[in-house]
Amino acid sequence: MACKRAARKPFRMSTRDLVLIALFAAITAAMGLMPPISVGFLPVPITLQTLGVMLAGLMLGPVRGGLALALLVLLVAIGLPVLAGGRGGFGVLLGPTGGFIVGWIVGAFVTGLVAQRTTRVGSWGARDLAFALLACLAGGVVAVYAIGIPWLAVVTGMDLVQAAAGSAVFLPGDAVKAIVAVLVARGVQRAYPMKLR
Amino acid sequence: MHILLENVVVRAQDRPILRGIDCVLTERRIGIVGANGSGKSTFARLLNGLVLPDEGRVVVEGLDTTRDVKAVRREVGFVFQNPDNQIVFPIVVEDVAFGLRNRGHSKSEARERAAAALDAYGLGHLAERAAHTLSGGEKQMVALVSVLVTRPGIVVMDEPTTLLDLRNRNRIRDAVAALEQPAIVVSHDLDLLSDFDRVLVVADGRIAYDDRPEPAIRRYVEAFS
Amino acid sequence: MTLSLYVPGESPLHRLTPGPKLAGLATAGLALVLVDEPAILAGFAALALALLLLSRVPVSQLRGQLTTTAILVALVVAASVWLDGWREAAAAGLRVAALVLLGIVVTATTRVSDLLETLERLLAPLDRIGLVRSADVALAIALVLRFVPEILAESRAIREARAARGMRVGPVALVVPLVVRTLVNADAIAAAIEARGGPRSPAEASHGLQESRKKAVPHEHP
Repeated sequence: MACKRAARKPFRMSTRDLVLIALFAAITAAMGLMPPISVGFLPVPITLQTLGVMLAGLMLGPVRGGLALALLVLLVAIGLPVLAGGRGGFGVLLGPTGGFIVGWIVGAFVTGLVAQRTTRVGSWGARDLAFALLACLAGGVVAVYAIGIPWLAVVTGMDLVQAAAGSAVFLPGDAVKAIVAVLVARGVQRAYPMKLR
Repeated sequence: MHILLENVVVRAQDRPILRGIDCVLTERRIGIVGANGSGKSTFARLLNGLVLPDEGRVVVEGLDTTRDVKAVRREVGFVFQNPDNQIVFPIVVEDVAFGLRNRGHSKSEARERAAAALDAYGLGHLAERAAHTLSGGEKQMVALVSVLVTRPGIVVMDEPTTLLDLRNRNRIRDAVAALEQPAIVVSHDLDLLSDFDRVLVVADGRIAYDDRPEPAIRRYVEAFS
Repeated sequence: MTLSLYVPGESPLHRLTPGPKLAGLATAGLALVLVDEPAILAGFAALALALLLLSRVPVSQLRGQLTTTAILVALVVAASVWLDGWREAAAAGLRVAALVLLGIVVTATTRVSDLLETLERLLAPLDRIGLVRSADVALAIALVLRFVPEILAESRAIREARAARGMRVGPVALVVPLVVRTLVNADAIAAAIEARGGPRSPAEASHGLQESRKKAVPHEHP
């Protein structure tokens, strides 16, 4: 498959790569600033921001996706209100949920890595959809929580089990976002096939 | 100005876009017209190395675009159809300074020259504005200034008036007329080209007519009506 | 929209360069996660509060951030009381309050452009050994600031177009056209940067129409 051959080549960034990285950081920021959207059976409206994490991985691949989220975290650090609800600054990064935000970098990378190795460029079949969902759950949920939960535990002094239990309330929303991310990626791949890098 | 295109072929995913272009461009004002998909945008992009020929060669003022891309891009300024995508910095003066920064000018020097260039075109009041708050006409003028500020030897424009209303079309027309450099303008705006020195009609990847504006535009209009 | 949490002022904290502020923040952050003693943590929280007063930033400007912080502290304390008891709850609440307040103080008293300059200086050594290109980072940050408002405007347009036809705007119907338009724009933006000699412009370009695609953009998506 073409995408697998691309994966072995070392990454050399072009202007277009740089622009894509910046635009996905901008999309992820914009998703946090849009009014929350209500989704089917969930009782509360969700913000789309973590959707951006999964999409960056699914659409750009591990390196560019990870760099897009690293850029967003950098913008948070320099005090731009680019997180959901217009939050930003060091206060958020140092707070109890800071690990989840820093974890987005690894989350997008892992999503991209799994997707790059398992999904095709162009129209997606059932197999691609299943693996894309797996990629989103591995990156957008497992990897993000793997960094966010220990951080939460350290900052609040909880133990890991308690921190994990506290974080579990966000699981249904994140699961829905994984499904949404896969459907969006399928739609985009159909209109504009993207090779993952 | 001296631009030579010699047997130029450009393909995209094996589909031919330009199929053998031969011409020498020397006039001060040259217009390029053609239907959508005729290859005229690709033609324009050849002239500053944004697109390179798959066969043949393009030589701008003695520089082969394939071998000297950087030098060619310094020589040839390029104005795009959609200024939304051409303005890449959040603040107007920063965007105008971008081309200067890329030529090694210091931050403060680039900013000063950018502000002076905006003033010279009567856009000084926009210098500190956020780019996304400008009107379409203001954006296209800023895009034009951000290209002219580096003093290119030749200016190429790809449909600079297509997205503008009548009043702003006139503004761009005046700006084109006032350019000291030679200009090559791709346009559907036949009025804009009427006082040019030469008009090329591109059809199906080839130069179909090449004449003074009046006969060239007449034959173009006849062929498509 | 002003994309900044900076609150202009004349306090000593405003005049301080970003370097010492960031170093202080990093040190305090490390100390705070290593310490468990409520008395010491209370000292840090008091220090953070004192710095906030010293910055003379009007509380009205920080209302949103302070409310969020208060809710966060309340949640942490409530969870901690329930799980571990009062001592741990006090420690956790004071730690979170101190960390977040210190962050707010630094963000509110430091201009984004000053932080960007400090960032460039921090990246300079990495630039020299070829690990990062600071020109790339600067351009990427500029692009985000430039295009966030455009993407928000685009998303409003998509919502309105669908609402005008009486359709509900689900997340898929909103995000697919948004991403496709952004990808199409990316080609044009990259061309514009290269035409003006941007930092990633190749010394020798590849042949033909590189990666750009001439595909029609769907304006609406099922």
